[in-house]
Amino acid sequence: MDDLYLDNIDEFVHDQNKIVTYKWLSLTLGVHVNTAKQMLYHYLEQKRRESSGTPLHATYLVSGKCVENGSTCHKVSVVREDKLDAVKAKMDVTVSVHVYSVQRAELKDSSPLYSTDYDAVKENLKNCNKYSAIHCAAAVPMSSVELQRAQEVALVTPVEKEISKPHLNESTSATSKPSAKQPSGIMGMFASKNASKSQESSKEVKTEQKDDSALVETSKTKPASKANPMSNFFGKPSQKKVDEKPNKSIKEETDGNSATSGTASMKRSQSSPKSEFAIKEEQSKVSSALKVESKDTRNKSKRPEVLDSDDEKMESQQKKRRRIKKPQPDSSDDEVVPDSPPVPNIQTPSPKKQVKRESVSHQEESSEVKRRKRRRVLKSHTFVDEEGSFVTEKGYVSESYSESEEEPEPNSKAKDSSSLKQSFGKREEEKKEKSQKKTSAANKPTKQPSIMGFFQKK
Amino acid sequence: MATLTRQDLNFGQVVADILCEFLEVAIHLILYVREVYPSGIFQKRKKYNVPVQMSCHPELNQYIQDTLHCVKPLIEKNEAEKVVVVIMDKEHHPVERFVFEISQPPLLSISSETLLSHVEQLLRAVILKISVCDAVLDNNPPGCTFTVLVHTREAAARNMEKVQVIKDFPWIVADEQEVHMEEAKLIPLKTMTSDILKMQLYVEEKTQKT
Repeated sequence: MDDLYLDNIDEFVHDQNKIVTYKWLSLTLGVHVNTAKQMLYHYLEQKRRESSGTPLHATYLVSGKCVENGSTCHKVSVVREDKLDAVKAKMDVTVSVHVYSVQRAELKDSSPLYSTDYDAVKENLKNCNKYSAIHCAAAVPMSSVELQRAQEVALVTPVEKEISKPHLNESTSATSKPSAKQPSGIMGMFASKNASKSQESSKEVKTEQKDDSALVETSKTKPASKANPMSNFFGKPSQKKVDEKPNKSIKEETDGNSATSGTASMKRSQSSPKSEFAIKEEQSKVSSALKVESKDTRNKSKRPEVLDSDDEKMESQQKKRRRIKKPQPDSSDDEVVPDSPPVPNIQTPSPKKQVKRESVSHQEESSEVKRRKRRRVLKSHTFVDEEGSFVTEKGYVSESYSESEEEPEPNSKAKDSSSLKQSFGKREEEKKEKSQKKTSAANKPTKQPSIMGFFQKK
Repeated sequence: MATLTRQDLNFGQVVADILCEFLEVAIHLILYVREVYPSGIFQKRKKYNVPVQMSCHPELNQYIQDTLHCVKPLIEKNEAEKVVVVIMDKEHHPVERFVFEISQPPLLSISSETLLSHVEQLLRAVILKISVCDAVLDNNPPGCTFTVLVHTREAAARNMEKVQVIKDFPWIVADEQEVHMEEAKLIPLKTMTSDILKMQLYVEEKTQKT
């Protein structure tokens, strides 16, 4: 490759006073990211050798294994040049070091690094990984049909989770606001479930489903339980992945998205929720694919039973019903979830859970920072799951981990339940639907909600 | 979409809102980047989908908000020509002036649905430019303070003195020494042009700062 790029970078850095990150450079010049990294390195070397003119500052991306708090973890962090050696020394094994950005200004914080990439990535959103080093053959953009199905699936699983929440709420102390509002008993759970429905269209769908409760009732529990084991199946390994050894590729992705200067721990905590979301996304995609395959005629027969649906919602309703019913035949999935309780007897409308999940994920996505604060407040609520002990544990964990987001599994579940509780309190007065099922679905990983949030954000 | 004119006060208010929000973020960012206040009082917040540093100090925030609250009516009527953030040293001699030259086209037309997201993108670029401005500016001496000046028309200035928009927050005519800087270097930072707003940001910097 000729040396024209050196002049290009020179122009960007000196004349335009830009921050040149490797990602921005690769998108601007149309080269592979590894090429861009090398370009920056050569440029830096050349300028340093010349040692003339204005000083250049650089940031580096360091990733490697280190031991923190007794546990080995894989850290990826963006560090300033002056801290590079210190960070490298701290790591047991340094897996990779490369130039992240070159700029004239000495950056005080990492916000400009993110801003630089933001517009470049936004413009190339469809093919922003064209030059990326991370590849996955299975990662193909979904067609619109698949997209719709995935959305329905995501709606099903949150509802399941929500259904269990009221049960938990009832048994908690009166300090919990949502729980306080719930009437006791199963009907109370249903009522509170109804009340806490959001105004999203899926909720309206569920109202209508309530009208057809007799028909849906039977199917709802099973679908909910079905979805839960499924999500659990994906949730557990993915959570472990996030917890112990964050997927490096995902981290690199998040690196591009949110560069953090300074401490590695901050970086990790920031990227772990993001990697969590990325994993949730994968999870939903896979689960939706599985659900699509198992469609049966029963779903179609249910369609005419949707009586009060609007024309607009008809299709989504039907699809929702389809979703609810699908898991019914596949009760064999329970084995993949070792600690999931058996299918619950009480039937709850899984759509409710869907709605709650959706609203939860929507809330989660809408204001992540605010969410964290809210979560801290809500985490003080401990909810006891009547079914299994591990929800209780999560309740406790939620308290202790209120300060840090480093434990995605307990955190995410706590967050989910806490945010569900909040949505509960908010929507209590709005709609009335039966909540039929109290399932172990409540304990399902919270990956699903964030998937909806991912879609909604778009 | 409809073509609105300046007589459509609603639209003028929208532009003023956007601009005042932006100026608030910009002022906070200038205070952070130029180290007028210790960086500990700043926390990362989100604006225009990117992280920005905003101060947590309640009095500082209140001061900036009150300032911009008074500027807003001027912007609505398109009477504000420049909004200047002046950084002064201990002796109250200005060392840096961040000048936001604002102008609104007389015939505002919202012709595009993506107008606001386009404006957001432009404002994001200005924010980014402020973040890296310390590459082109010399360091300030310690103990600096700041103030905000507004260049406007004579009539509007008299109005401002008469009508206190916020109680106990009077605006006074600026001293000559704050307005004019000797031996000033002009460093352009960013220009943005959009359908609803034109803004130019440059810095007048004193050659000898200490």
